[in-house]
Amino acid sequence: MTVPAQKPARKLSMKQRYTALTHDLDWTPTYVKEEEVFPFTTFEGIKVHDWSKWDDPFRLTVEAYNKYQAEKDRRLYAVLDGFAQSQGQLGLTEARYMNAMKIFLQGIPVHEYNAHRNFSYLARYANGPGARFAALCQSLDELRHAQTEIHTLSHYNKYFDGMHDWHKWTDRVWYLSVPKSFFEDAQTAGPFEWLIAIGFSFEYLLTNLLFVPFMSGAAFNGDLPTMTFGFSAQSDESRHMTLGLEAIKFMLEQDEDNLPIVQDWLDKWFWRGYRLISLVAGMMDYMLPKRVMSWKEAFELYFEEQMLNGLFKDLEYYGIRPPRHVDWAIGEKEILSHQVYWILYQYSHAAAFTTTIPNAEDQEWLEKAYPETWPIYKQVVWDKAQRVMDAGGRYFNPGLPQLCTVCQIPMGFTEPGDPLTQCQRQTVYEGERYDFCSDGCQWIFEREPTKYRQSWLPVHQIFQGNCGGPTLPDVAAWYGLQPGDGAEYLGSPDHQAWLEWHGQTTKEA
Amino acid sequence: MQFELRTQVIEPKRKTFTNLVERYGDRPASRYEEGSIDIQCVENFHYKPLYSADKDHFDPDYTAFTLTDPYSFTDPRQLYYAPYVQSRAAMGEAFAKSIDYVESRGLMQKLPGGWDGIVGEILIPLRHWEAGAELVHIEGSRWAWGTTIDQCCTFAAFDRIGNAQSISRIGIVYGEGHDGALAEAKERWMGDAALQGLRRLIEELLVEHDYGKALIALDLADQLLYPLMYSHLDEAALTGGAGAYSLLAQHYANWFSDQRRWVDALVAAWLGDPTHGEANKDAANEVVGRRWNQIVEAVSDLAAAVDARVDAGAVANVEASAAALAERLTAAGLTVPGGK
Repeated sequence: MTVPAQKPARKLSMKQRYTALTHDLDWTPTYVKEEEVFPFTTFEGIKVHDWSKWDDPFRLTVEAYNKYQAEKDRRLYAVLDGFAQSQGQLGLTEARYMNAMKIFLQGIPVHEYNAHRNFSYLARYANGPGARFAALCQSLDELRHAQTEIHTLSHYNKYFDGMHDWHKWTDRVWYLSVPKSFFEDAQTAGPFEWLIAIGFSFEYLLTNLLFVPFMSGAAFNGDLPTMTFGFSAQSDESRHMTLGLEAIKFMLEQDEDNLPIVQDWLDKWFWRGYRLISLVAGMMDYMLPKRVMSWKEAFELYFEEQMLNGLFKDLEYYGIRPPRHVDWAIGEKEILSHQVYWILYQYSHAAAFTTTIPNAEDQEWLEKAYPETWPIYKQVVWDKAQRVMDAGGRYFNPGLPQLCTVCQIPMGFTEPGDPLTQCQRQTVYEGERYDFCSDGCQWIFEREPTKYRQSWLPVHQIFQGNCGGPTLPDVAAWYGLQPGDGAEYLGSPDHQAWLEWHGQTTKEA
Repeated sequence: MQFELRTQVIEPKRKTFTNLVERYGDRPASRYEEGSIDIQCVENFHYKPLYSADKDHFDPDYTAFTLTDPYSFTDPRQLYYAPYVQSRAAMGEAFAKSIDYVESRGLMQKLPGGWDGIVGEILIPLRHWEAGAELVHIEGSRWAWGTTIDQCCTFAAFDRIGNAQSISRIGIVYGEGHDGALAEAKERWMGDAALQGLRRLIEELLVEHDYGKALIALDLADQLLYPLMYSHLDEAALTGGAGAYSLLAQHYANWFSDQRRWVDALVAAWLGDPTHGEANKDAANEVVGRRWNQIVEAVSDLAAAVDARVDAGAVANVEASAAALAERLTAAGLTVPGGK
């Protein structure tokens, strides 16, 4: 071993080295005005005094990033290839499990992609190099998630309906305007609101509620690729959660005037996100042949325990209080999934997934998970739907539902404490009436009526003649739906194919 | 010995997604296609952006360059995320080998006279050029209309900040493990006359919010700068006994030939568009007309500083590169201002 004759003074520490490689690349422009280089970080009213306080705990360099991510993707794609080669779909619990993945493919990758685009916005326009580089890494991660999700589900698309035209469905189909309007709401906001909307509320506050049902649902139902994707995305997600938390703390620490703005956004985006993932609640309680846990249990664990009793205790220090309307959400935990799935059931003839009446085994599980509320819905809804089936029919709602102006979910939610009275709120703005499913959505509208009056509401658009024509077949054709994509599961092409693969025949479909 | 492996074979119902069948016919699609074509939303947008009341958050009008079909442009490298990070991990590993070798042999400290100055006073300050180039490319990642263009811009942005970081590593090795050389390089970037043309250019591109125009201007500069710094000086270093410079420069030259593939394809798609080709040509001409002399002067100033340290024929190289580039631009139907 050779030792240099004179050892120079102490070399750079890891942190100094990281700073030299990243933050120190920045300089203050002198040939142009700095505020013209970063024109979007003042109009929201957030005051930042020192961008260098943005801390990046991961100290990731480009070299390290490429190395880790390449290795992760190498493993993920090996699993995807093996699954396809071995016809892995045969090992799923049931073909109806695919409905969860149809909703996932239609509703998630495109918004991962939107997140990618908007983190590029921050990677360009945040004034500080630390924030920009963290956003750049997240931009790439989100592109990764969009693509790996598409590639994960690509194999299923070859064998199942309800996946083949998700690009078009995303922009057109009624229930997909729920996630689309959510993300576009965030994308059309400024950079700081985006960080609270997506970086914090979505990626931190609600991320477990969104991803656990899908990823653990995959693990419980023989969906190896999706489960592997979930594991593979976890280390990215932990970086994103850290960025979300860093973002809110940074804003709160920079200036106390930021607190009311941040609190307002938190209130808005909690409710916006909560309404969005009610679709997941319906999916996890009704569409998974093998359940992981109930929506209610997930909500209690991942939201009430981890967030309300954990995170919000920490944020109290900054003056942050739990989000507005949180009690309403807690009050809905026993009924939310029942109401959402009933909406999906009665309109699935115009959707790209199939639904069916919970079978005996499902009903037993629902009874145990929701002893108070399941009997009500069984009696007022499912027993009737069953009688229609028994008579050789299938109940679909022939009308078009009124949609909430903000969350865009059909108005099927009820008054707090009264699961049988539909909740409807109205606001008149500049002579026009707007309708809402809840106090939360009404409050969001009244904060920014000029924004939400622009909503592209699918039902209004159908009535205005913008969706292919006045009849259901016209609209379905404009949506790009093909026979087999939607309606009843039992007897559907997916169901029949499944029985055929497993050497059974359809009873009487 | 060979054995027969039997698996259950089920005929797939369809080969790929409907949009790809409509576009390319009923054939299996590649992962690049499934992950890149038609991913961006295109219609029925809900709200106008708070930051841009006259355009949608995705809008073809964020640049003057228009494609009739945005997906008529595809990446000739067919890079989506997974092969992208894999190819960059390999590039990173190759660079790490070189820099480790340079460091372990103390080659940076053995650079012959003038070459020491070229590394410390010209190459290392260019990490800021790369950092600025990252911001130019990421504009396209946000504002492009269509995923295939966005994706190339995104990867290019990450490449550029990667280049900035690897040049910074050269700076740390040059400074024998300290950041003194980086601090000095930044002062030069801010003040040295030889670097001000490039700094002014990149700063001006940061307030050029048409990402297409900024991309073309940046690329014109790169097409003079990269051949000089990483190909011509690589050769000169080899003959001049500056092995360390050559070992490191090759990585940037390799990267640049990869970068050229998509930029050339995108510009060709813009200029050759069946409907908007002429309008795109006008927009490109505006950039060339406004920036050409500025770019040639900026890179020539840098080259003169190189020649002042080592008689490497740098100015002559930039002249030759500029003449060749002018010829290519003219062949593409563009007008290059006279003079330089």
